[in-house]
Amino acid sequence: MNLFLNQISAIVWKDFVTELKTRELFSAMFVFALLVILIFIFSVNLSVVKASEVGPGILWVAFLFSGTIGLNRSFMLEKENGCLMGLMLVPADRTAIYFGKLISNFVFLSIMELFILPLFMIFFNIDLLGHLLPLLLVIFLGTLGFCALGTLLSSLASNLKTREIMLPILLYPLLVPIVIGVVRMTGQILTGEPLSEMMNWIGLTASFDIIYIGVSIMTIDHILEE
Amino acid sequence: MSSDEIEENEEEGNILVWLTGLAFLAAMIAIFIYVPTEKTEGVVQRIMYFHIPCAWLSFFAFFVVFICSILFLWKKDREWDIYSQASAEIGVIFCSLVLITGPIWARPIWGAWWVWDARLTSTLILWLIYVSYLMLRAQSDAGSMRARYAAVLGIVGFLDIPLIHFSVLWWRAFHPQPKVITSEGIGKGMDPTMLVTLGISLCAFTLLYFLFMGVRVRQEKLKDEIDRLKREKIYSS
Repeated sequence: MNLFLNQISAIVWKDFVTELKTRELFSAMFVFALLVILIFIFSVNLSVVKASEVGPGILWVAFLFSGTIGLNRSFMLEKENGCLMGLMLVPADRTAIYFGKLISNFVFLSIMELFILPLFMIFFNIDLLGHLLPLLLVIFLGTLGFCALGTLLSSLASNLKTREIMLPILLYPLLVPIVIGVVRMTGQILTGEPLSEMMNWIGLTASFDIIYIGVSIMTIDHILEE
Repeated sequence: MSSDEIEENEEEGNILVWLTGLAFLAAMIAIFIYVPTEKTEGVVQRIMYFHIPCAWLSFFAFFVVFICSILFLWKKDREWDIYSQASAEIGVIFCSLVLITGPIWARPIWGAWWVWDARLTSTLILWLIYVSYLMLRAQSDAGSMRARYAAVLGIVGFLDIPLIHFSVLWWRAFHPQPKVITSEGIGKGMDPTMLVTLGISLCAFTLLYFLFMGVRVRQEKLKDEIDRLKREKIYSS
């Protein structure tokens, strides 16, 4: 067990060192998320629609779109110079590779989201501070589900000819339950409803997370196989 | 596959062709002659006898994809890969038919081509998932990699169906309840003649599924055989 955790942390550490050195992924994700929010602000008339009604949807679209950039990078980076082959030659379990990638994707996306949230507050003139804790829980559940399925499909798409195109096409229809769930929950939180009002949605997103982490553990061996 | 086996399969296929033909003849007679026209909806309601079997068939086909994907990852036998591919193709065709016949039926009855009702939405998402499945297959070259990836997606996609169902159901629950599906007659029980007609139609479509499966699987196996022979000939001459 200890060895397994060491292997995972080694992969996460490697991703962080690469990112700290190149700094290309994080800035790209952040600027892209900002652009998505900006474009959506232009496309809806905020003086007519209530910000708390369209806000959650726009926020999550920005998260998911820029998260897709991160996912695309995560295994593409390994394809260059045959790093993925090196990773697979390591006498480690394939699930360690999956969890390492899952954690680094999750952490990158979470940091990006924490930077976006204050800007979202300012742009939409919504006060998030009052219900920060439930909001963070929802963001945690949503981001985890997105990364759990996204990491699996990104490892799969990285071997295809048209990887950047195929990943969103494969990923987005499968993400529908989680998108509906988190947008609905974020909307309810912004109107001040307590978490106990939306237990069904929490259950749904949590079971999405659990199901797809489980499926990934079972199937990753078949994807990372040469 | 030997040539004897192919011939034998062809004979079985012939029986299935006749059976399916007869079943469809019976279904046509039942739909257009036997069953009386529905009182409130009129003649357009007869599209139900195509709409529901198509929906049933696409769900059944996707379930077969799921089972065959699991069996493929377990046994690593090309046979299961062929089955899941054939079944996914048939499923997508019939899912498209559901999405086409649905609006045709909805337009005169609900007054709109499309409403964001739970069932419609989940069928559309289902269609998208399996179209992306077929795209994944088209994107990668034939071989073990394509089969493995497709199998993973076949499993992931099917497991998503219950989640999609509930999320879409609750998504709509916050809006005025759509009265359309309940008043359409499915909930309040149907006339026995309608049930019989629907039953015949379901049988006919299920037979059609097996007929299509047989043809598609045979086609794929012959393709493999041709590839094998080609390789042999290249090196022997």
